[in-house]
Amino acid sequence: MNDIDEQLREIIPRLRRFALSLTRNASSADDLVQSCLERALSSWGDKRAEGDLRAWLFAILYRQFLDAHRRSRRYARMLEFFTGRDDSQPSAERTVLAQSTLQAFDQLSTEQRALLLWVSVEGMSYKEVAAILDVPTGTVMSRLSRARQALRQLSDGEITRPSLRRLK
Amino acid sequence: MISMPPSERDLHAYVDHQLDADDRRRVETFLAGNPSLSAQVRAWQQDAQQLRAALGGALQQAANPALDPALIRQRLKRQSRRHLASAAVLLIAVGMGGFSGWKAREMTLLSAAQPMADAMQAYRLFAQQGMLPADYKVSDNGDMQGWLDRYFTQANRLPDLSRAGFTPVSGRLLSTEQGPAAMVVYEDGSANKISFYVRPPGPRNFLLPRGSRSDGELQAEYWSGGGYNYAMVSPNDTPAAQMLRQTVKF
Repeated sequence: MNDIDEQLREIIPRLRRFALSLTRNASSADDLVQSCLERALSSWGDKRAEGDLRAWLFAILYRQFLDAHRRSRRYARMLEFFTGRDDSQPSAERTVLAQSTLQAFDQLSTEQRALLLWVSVEGMSYKEVAAILDVPTGTVMSRLSRARQALRQLSDGEITRPSLRRLK
Repeated sequence: MISMPPSERDLHAYVDHQLDADDRRRVETFLAGNPSLSAQVRAWQQDAQQLRAALGGALQQAANPALDPALIRQRLKRQSRRHLASAAVLLIAVGMGGFSGWKAREMTLLSAAQPMADAMQAYRLFAQQGMLPADYKVSDNGDMQGWLDRYFTQANRLPDLSRAGFTPVSGRLLSTEQGPAAMVVYEDGSANKISFYVRPPGPRNFLLPRGSRSDGELQAEYWSGGGYNYAMVSPNDTPAAQMLRQTVKF
């Protein structure tokens, strides 16, 4: 038990960083990490696959984020339906000039942020990332390539069109 | 081994250190003779480097104690104990069929909201509706207090209601969110019933001041003592209820 907790404590800062890059908000990031750890600890015995603990935790956290995101999007659509407007869509005026890598990174889609963080920052292998996303390695490589191009363009200070922020 | 010229994927794999040493050298040799591709690759490398630097700070956040694995483990254990307790009530309920099953569920849900609501629910289920056979009957060998003491050490004594004509006749054990509970049913000669209900104060040690309240047709007197919470439940507006309120000293 204590051994497991030690391993987890070492990974928690990385989980928090990943959650922060997904949610862009420190307190929801920690909420996400907490529910990820709860899930991990309660399904430790039967679900924990052989292999990298970090990759397993990233996978749990990522799926939880997507689920929550989907729910809140549904909620936003419902609100939009009742109020007739959508505040979540950036207007042309709010379009920003990306000046730094971090700002550019923040404008990428969820999956692109996750991909770049896993590969470029955490140094995970394509195979591990493919397992998390449940797609072939080749798909990871082509999506990564697109993510890099997008980051490059945004970092170069090209004006982003709102539609670009919604890359699926 | 990758083929030359390298594909775009190979170049990404090069940037990400996912090529073996031989392939890596071949790509480096190739890039040395291709300034435009070389610049492209260098830009990717710089982006990755800047991203690592930019996100490095996020690793240095002050620790959040709520995220400590030991704490989360404890919380999970508490939750699963609570679920076990509810499950036990539902198990009782399964034996009694669907409708009363919901009653029993209500019993656990309500218990947090109002003092000793579970005692009143238990009275309805077991004393009024006679859902389940008793775990213990006085006719067995007569000592209700002894039976209760087996489960609740140092609990308050069963009140003596004999002057009002009530004597303990049956007891049963229950499971609640707050822990194991027991209910002793008193009866008089005319089948009027009063229940004595005892259980632990729960994980948050929620002790009660002496009080009384009514809910529908029932009235409960409740109090705490000896580390347990108690309630005496009887129908409203009966001589027995008045007697409980006025004369019984707890």
